[in-house]
Order: sequence, then structure tokens, then C-alpha cells
Amino acid sequence: MGRGEGARPGLPLAVLLGLAWLVPGLGHVLLGRKSRAWVFGAVVLVSFVVGILCQGELILPKPGDPLSYFAAVATVGNGLLFFLARLLGLGDGVPTAVTYEYGNTFLLTAGIMNLLLVLDTYDMAVGKKEW
Amino acid sequence: MADHFTLMTLHALLLAVFFAFLWKKDPGERKRYAVKVFLLLLLGAIAVGWLMYPFPS
Repeated sequence: MGRGEGARPGLPLAVLLGLAWLVPGLGHVLLGRKSRAWVFGAVVLVSFVVGILCQGELILPKPGDPLSYFAAVATVGNGLLFFLARLLGLGDGVPTAVTYEYGNTFLLTAGIMNLLLVLDTYDMAVGKKEW
Repeated sequence: MADHFTLMTLHALLLAVFFAFLWKKDPGERKRYAVKVFLLLLLGAIAVGWLMYPFPS
């Protein structure tokens, strides 16, 4: 199967990737990789919830802190989880908490993993990955 | 939830499972890869911790 010949569920590629970003694992569900999707969804969700419970921060860009821009990409990479957490007033972070850095690590990792899932969805959708 | 080693172990486990399912197709290969990544992350962190021991500040 060559590039551009991947199996897609009748959705435009951009919509598929957008859905894959919004809900961890949804891209894989839509492409019929359901068992892997459940594992991916669970891993990202557990990582995100542990990050919140550890009082980690959903880092957004801070003026004068260039690294915060990279962190923000990972934070927003969590998709719907990020927006839900902000809506519920979670993820402000408690820098004095002993688990604050661990919380940040879990939250950033969850976002990066979800972004990798979007890339994986892309690879499957265009036929670069067949499983 | 405040136990650092537990958190580190959980983090290593989540990453190992994630990358095993992302990169490996065969179930047996997937299991071996997950165990390898998990142990590398866990033992690597402990090793780096010991290497940093002489430099406390």
C-alpha cells in the first residue's frame, strides 16, 4: 500500500487528525485499530490524571520563559483533557507541592504521547503504516 | 501518591507500554520490548541518581 492509499473512514484527513488529537485513541478507533486504541487512550488518560493528582501544572506560554512555549505545545497536545481540566479549574499547579515536578512530567508526557498518536494516525491514514 | 519511586515506576511502566504498542506489532515482541524499556528507564534513573550522589547541590 503506497502513500495516499491508506484506509480512511470517509473523513477528510484534517478532520481525522483533529479528532485523534481531541480524544486520545480516537484516531485509532476510527481506523479500526480498536484494541491498540484502548491501550493508548488508557495510558494517556492515566498519565494525565496522575499529573493532575500530583498537583502538576498545565503549562501555558509565559513571557520571558522561552521553554514554556515548548511545554505549552505538549500541554495543549492533551486535547480535550486539557480543555476539560481548565474548564474544571484544574491544572493550576502547586509549585510548593513535593510532587509538583512529577505532576508536570506526567502532564507533559501525556500530551507528547497524544501528539505521537496523531502522527501514528497520520501514518496509518496515508498508508505508511499498515497495522 | 507522594512516593517518588512509585511515581517513577508508574511513569516508566506507562511509557514502556505506550511505546511497545506504538512500535511493535507482534505480541511477543511487544512484551519483550515493554519489559526492556521499563527496566532501562527504571534502572537508568537509579544509576543516574547514584552518579549524581557526589554532587548534592
